[in-house]
Amino acid sequence: MSFRARVLAGFGVVVLVPLVVFGVRVRADMADRLTAEYQRRVASLAAVIRADLSRDSAGIAARLDALKEAIAMDNKFRRAALEGVERAYLLDYAGSAMRFTGLSMLLIQDDQGRIISSGHFRNEYDRLEPDLPRLLAVAPGGMALVEARTAEAALLALARVDSLRLGGRRFTLVGGVAVDSSFLARLAPDSELTVAPALPSDTLVRVDTAAQVVSALAVPFVALGDSARLREARIVVTHSLAPLAALRRRVDAAFVAAALLTAAIALLLASWLSSLISRPLGELARRTAEIDMERLDVTFESERADEIGMLTRLLGAMTERLRVGAAQLREAERRIAVGDLARQVNHDIKNGLIPIRNVVRHLLDAARAGPDQLAAAWRDRQATVESSVSYLEQLATNYARLYPQPGRKPCDVNDAVRETIRRVGDASRGELRTELADELPAVQTDPVVLRRILENLVGNALDSLESRSGTVTVLTARAAGADDGRPVVRITVADTGKGMSREELNRAFDDFYTTKPGGTGLGLSIVRRLVLDANGALRVETEPGGGSKFIVELPGAGA
Amino acid sequence: MIPSSHRVLLAGLLVAACRGAAPRGELPPPAAAPSDTTCLVATGRITPRDTVTVALTEPVDPMHAPVPYNGAERFVFAQLYETLIRVDCQGRVLPALARSWGQGAADRWTVTLRSDARFWDGAPVTARDVLAAWRVRDASIAQAVTILDDRTLGIDPSGLSFQRFADPALAVTKSAPGGGWPIGTGDHWTTGAAAAGDALWASPVPGAALPAIKVTVTTASDARDAIDGNVDLLLTSDPAALEYARTRSGYQDVPLEWDHTYVLLAPAGSGLDVGALRLESLPQAVHVDARPAQADDGQFWFADLKRCGLPAEPASPTVPPRRRVVYEQADRDARDLAARLVGLAAFGRGAVVAGLARTAFEPTFRGGTDAAYVLRVRRRTVDACAAGRQLPAWVLRGSITPLIDTRTHLLARRGLPRLSVDWDGAVRLGAR
Repeated sequence: MSFRARVLAGFGVVVLVPLVVFGVRVRADMADRLTAEYQRRVASLAAVIRADLSRDSAGIAARLDALKEAIAMDNKFRRAALEGVERAYLLDYAGSAMRFTGLSMLLIQDDQGRIISSGHFRNEYDRLEPDLPRLLAVAPGGMALVEARTAEAALLALARVDSLRLGGRRFTLVGGVAVDSSFLARLAPDSELTVAPALPSDTLVRVDTAAQVVSALAVPFVALGDSARLREARIVVTHSLAPLAALRRRVDAAFVAAALLTAAIALLLASWLSSLISRPLGELARRTAEIDMERLDVTFESERADEIGMLTRLLGAMTERLRVGAAQLREAERRIAVGDLARQVNHDIKNGLIPIRNVVRHLLDAARAGPDQLAAAWRDRQATVESSVSYLEQLATNYARLYPQPGRKPCDVNDAVRETIRRVGDASRGELRTELADELPAVQTDPVVLRRILENLVGNALDSLESRSGTVTVLTARAAGADDGRPVVRITVADTGKGMSREELNRAFDDFYTTKPGGTGLGLSIVRRLVLDANGALRVETEPGGGSKFIVELPGAGA
Repeated sequence: MIPSSHRVLLAGLLVAACRGAAPRGELPPPAAAPSDTTCLVATGRITPRDTVTVALTEPVDPMHAPVPYNGAERFVFAQLYETLIRVDCQGRVLPALARSWGQGAADRWTVTLRSDARFWDGAPVTARDVLAAWRVRDASIAQAVTILDDRTLGIDPSGLSFQRFADPALAVTKSAPGGGWPIGTGDHWTTGAAAAGDALWASPVPGAALPAIKVTVTTASDARDAIDGNVDLLLTSDPAALEYARTRSGYQDVPLEWDHTYVLLAPAGSGLDVGALRLESLPQAVHVDARPAQADDGQFWFADLKRCGLPAEPASPTVPPRRRVVYEQADRDARDLAARLVGLAAFGRGAVVAGLARTAFEPTFRGGTDAAYVLRVRRRTVDACAAGRQLPAWVLRGSITPLIDTRTHLLARRGLPRLSVDWDGAVRLGAR
C-alpha cells in the first residue's frame, strides 16, 4: 500500500470513526429522551382524560336530572307515557329533549325496558332493551361507553342512567354524549397525541408499540343487543413516534451530510498532506535510484525546513561525500594504477633490456675475444636484440594508448560505430551486427577517445566469442536525459560469448587484468577511464555462459 | 338538472288515474260539468276577491312544468296548464282543451279542440301544437296521433286508455322565447319565480273571471307563520301546522285523498323479515298524515305486474345485497320509514339507512344492489303495466311491500272561491 493510500485511509478512519460514534450516540440518546418525554405526555394525558370523563359524566348526570324535572312537569308527556295518547308527541319527545340538553344519545324506557322515545334513533320505539339501564346502573362510576344504534350507523356514547317515577311506574333515562371524532379531539388537544376507543369487539385496533407510545384507561362498556353483561373497553392514548422518526431521519440526513462533507474535506486534506510528503519522497527516491558510482552528479537541494528538507539535504551531503569519495577512490586507483604501471613499466623495460644487456655483454665478451667473434656473436644475438627492441616498441605503443586525448567536439556515434566495425570486423572471429538509432544527438568527446572506447569494447567482445558462430551486436539509442536537459546517447556492445563470473567482473576493469592469452589487461581499464573522462557512465550486465553487455552512456553535445 | 331517465322514472311512477277509470281502449262519453259537489272542497259562502294567496311547503321549479314532481307543483301547474281532458275525483271525464271526442273511422278516436283555446301569448291552439307538445314528452303517444284538421286529431287507441289524456305530461305547451315557464293554455299565466322570499304571481288570462294567485313557498316549519299571515290556502301535510290551523276558526282543514303509498322494494335475497315489519306501527314513524297501506280495490296496481309480461331480470348468484335501506334524501318520510325498518331489524341487526341525492338514487335504485329501497308511488294508476315498466327489472323477482298511505291537507280560509279536486289530487281554483 502506498504511503498516500495509507495517509488517506488513516485520515478517513481518524475523522469518520469518531464522527460515527458521536452520531450513533446522539441518535440513541435523542431517541431515549424523546421516548421518555412522550411516555410522560401520554401518561399525563391519560390522567387528564380520566378527569375529563368524570367531568363529562357529571355533566350528563346534571342534564338527565334537569330532564327528569322537565318530564315530571310535563302533563302531556305523562298522559302519553301512561295512557298511550299523543303518541307522536312521545316519540318526538326524546329527540327534542336530547337537542335541548345537548346530549347525543337519549333513551326513555318504561319499567319493562321498552323504548318509548329515542332521541338519537326516533323510530326504534317499542324495542325492548332492559339490560342497558340495568348494566349502566351497576357500572363503576355509573358511567359506561355504550354502543348504541342510529338509523345510519352505530353510535358510541359515554352514557349514564337515571330514573323517575310517573303514576307509580318507573321510567329510565339513558343519556350520553357521542364519543366521536370531535369528542376525542377535545380529549387530545395536542395533534401529536391520539385518543381512540378500543372496544372489546374491535378487532381492527392494533397498537403498534414499536411505532407508538401507548397508554390506556379502562372504561365499562355496553353494546346494545349484546349478551347482557358489562364488558371493558379502553380509551387508548397514543403518541406517534412519527415525529421521532422524522427527527431521526433529519438527524441521519444531517449526519450523513456532515460525514460526507467531513470525509471529503479529510480526503482533500489527506491528499494534500500526503502529496506534500509523498511527492518529494518520490522525487528523492527517483533521484536516489540514479546514484551509482559512475553517476554521482545527482543533486539534492531543498529549502524546506521540515524532515523532508533535512532528508534531502542529508542525501545531498551524502551524495557529495560519495562524489568526493569516488574522486578520491578514482585518484587512489589512478595512483595505484600508475604505481602498478610504473612497476610494470619498470618490469617490462627491464624484461626488454635484460636480453639486450645480455646481448651487449655477449658482444663485449666477443669483442674482447676478437672482431670476428663479435660479428659472429652479433649474428647470433641480433634476433634477440631485435625481439627486445620490438617488444619495447610494442610496450611503448601500448603505454602510449593510456595517454588521455584532449580536445572534445561533437561526434556522431553512429559514424564512429560504423568506422569501428569496418576496421575491426573480422568474419573469422564472429558475426558483427549493428542496430543504430536514427537522429541520435552528437556526443561531446574526442573522436579518438570514442573510437578507442568502441575498438576496445568491440575487440574484447570479439575476443570473448568462443566460436565463429558467436555474435557481437552494437546498438545505439537515445537514453533518458539528465536533469539538466542534455540528451544522453547509449551505446551497447553485447556479445554471446562466455560471459564473466562475479569475480571476473569485479576485476574486469583493473589494470593489467586479463583472461586472454596475450592480452595486456589494460583495455577495459582504459575504456572506463575514457568513458569517465568523457563524463559518461559505463556498466556491465553479464553472467557466466550468457554473454556480456557493456553499456556506455555518453552525454550529448547540447540540449 | 334531473337526468331524463330519472324524469321518466318519476313521471312514470306518478302517472295515475282516477278510481273506476274506464278499461283500456274504451272511449268514455263526454260529460257535462258535474252539478254535484262531490269534488268540491271548502264549500261555503264565497267572498269575492281579486287575489288568492297560496302558501306551499314544497319547491316549485319551472323546469319541471308541466309535469309536477310534488304537491306544490301539482297545484301550480294545474292552474297554468291544460290537458285535452280532465278526470274529476269521481273518475268522470270532463272536457278541457278538447271540446268533444268520438269514434271515428277504423275505430280511431277523433278529438276536437275547443275553438276558443289559446296560448297565453294569444296564439290559437291547433292540432299541430298538441302533436308538437306530445312529441317532446311522449313520442309513443305522438306516433298514435294524426292531424285531421287544424282542430281535430285522430288517435289510434291501441294500448291506450282515454283517461291517459288527462296526464299532466300530455299538457299542451310550447316553449317560451328565452326559456322559463313553458307557455300554456290554462286559466292563469305567469313568468315569475317562486323562490324563497319571492312570490309567484299567476294572473288570470283575459276573460277567465278568476282571481289572481299569489304563491309563496315556505318551509314546513314556517307553515304556521303563513297561517298567522292569513294566507288563503295552505297545502301541507305537517301535523304541527294542521294542529295549529285547527285552532283557527277561520280555516277549514280539508284532507285530500290518500294519494300516495310508500312501498318497500326489496331485491330477492335481501333478507327481509316480513314478520318483523309491524305495519301497524309504521304511520307513527312519519311526520305526515299516514295510515297503514291499504288498497281501495283490494289490490295495489303493483301487486301483480307479472300479468303485464314484463321481462324479469334473471336470477343472479352474485354477491348479496348491501345491508342498506336506501331512500331519496329529500324525502323525509321515506327516511323515517327506512329508519323504522332498521329499528325493527327487518333486515337483521347491522342494517343501516342511506339517503341518496336524487341524482345518485336513480342509478342505485336501478342497480338493486342494496337490501331495500323505500319509494313513494301513486296509489292508483291508469295503466299499471305502463307504470310497472318504469320499475327496474329486479323488482319482478323481488318484493314490493306497501307500507303506508299518505295524504295532503288543504287548509283553506272560509269564503274562498270554489275549489275542485281532480283525479290526481290537483286542486283547481274556480270562478271568483
